[in-house]
Amino acid sequence: MVAMDVEQHELMGLLIAVAREDRAAFQRLYEKVSGRMFGLCLKLASQRDLAEEAVQDAFVQIWHNAGEYHNERGAPLSWMLTIARYRTLDLMRVRKAKQTSGDSHLEHMEDGREGPLDVSLRSAGAAELTGCLEELSEPQRDSILLSYYRGFSHDELSEALSSPVGTVKSWIRRGLMALKRCLER
Amino acid sequence: MKKTPERIEALAAEYVLGSLRGHARQRFERWMMESVRVRQEVWFWEEKLGHLGSRIEEEAPPASVWSGIEQRLWPQNRGAKPATAANDGAGRWLWPGWSLVATAATLVLAVVLLQQPAPRDDQRLSGAIVQAEMTDPLWLVSESARERQLKLRPVAATAAEQGKDYELWIVPENGQPVSLGVMPVGETYQVTLDDKTRALLSSSRTLAISLEPVGGSPTGAPTGPILHVARLYEL
Repeated sequence: MVAMDVEQHELMGLLIAVAREDRAAFQRLYEKVSGRMFGLCLKLASQRDLAEEAVQDAFVQIWHNAGEYHNERGAPLSWMLTIARYRTLDLMRVRKAKQTSGDSHLEHMEDGREGPLDVSLRSAGAAELTGCLEELSEPQRDSILLSYYRGFSHDELSEALSSPVGTVKSWIRRGLMALKRCLER
Repeated sequence: MKKTPERIEALAAEYVLGSLRGHARQRFERWMMESVRVRQEVWFWEEKLGHLGSRIEEEAPPASVWSGIEQRLWPQNRGAKPATAANDGAGRWLWPGWSLVATAATLVLAVVLLQQPAPRDDQRLSGAIVQAEMTDPLWLVSESARERQLKLRPVAATAAEQGKDYELWIVPENGQPVSLGVMPVGETYQVTLDDKTRALLSSSRTLAISLEPVGGSPTGAPTGPILHVARLYEL
């Protein structure tokens, strides 16, 4: 994956420039990353205005915190996407706390386009984690991917997968540990 | 709860995945601040699960997102109004709401995570009080266990409006905030912490600044709007 390395190298250079408060580099970084970031936030939140707010907040944070990036935190792109993901999850929690109890998050998201987890994401995830996801049982894998891509809580997973909360929790816990053992091999 | 390797491993994975919620999530964030081992475990998962994010279909955000970022970082008229927040009609603080409102309104936390754990006898906390629209922090905060001093150095902070003062508070994990006095603007503000206040700060690591009548809150609890909330990090 030489192309990937070249890109990460370029992103790293841009981050270093941003840490020195180079605004032109910041704009370039935005141009390179914002499409993927917005796609991720939108997938997670299924609400455009929330995804837009999350991307905005994430880039403000990236501007302030670029100097704190270091390579133990993963590739530059993952680091930036992680910031956006946490921000999206925070905003989703704030909104859910404000929602009335009758307003189900699941109803809101199921717009007929696709099920909770579409096929393309399932296979993409498997490829990126070097095949380790394939070693998990199907419910383990689905509950992990639904948490990651859709920000589902245990309760929402329980509803989406028609299984008790305790079962869902153990799928996630065991699935993650099995994933780690595989990734460390 | 003890930080056993098994717990760290399991909780870090769920933290990054997002399925760790509520108090458990907050407690784990404290673990992250306390231990480089915990942070490394989180970074492992951020790196691994981060790959999942790179395969998502791209979608360009609307142009308003970039203009919003520019507006927040480099507004044309800098030093404009501070955001007011979290003050209900009766003038009482809404504690459960402070963090959310302050985060949404004004705050970008400057996270300082260093790789080496500090020796316990000279634990240092550090952070910055920042406002999203401004490039420079308002105050830089440092605290040293050895000197028992909390210092706030003004960088871009401006004086409170006429007839008002800024008051500094420790926000404990539970219960009412504890006043650290009225802060003059334009000079470094130093407070010597006694054992009790130091313990409170050390566990919650959260400071707040409210706008009060001259001379500080008349009631001993914050009465004005909360302008800023900042978390400190261990160096």
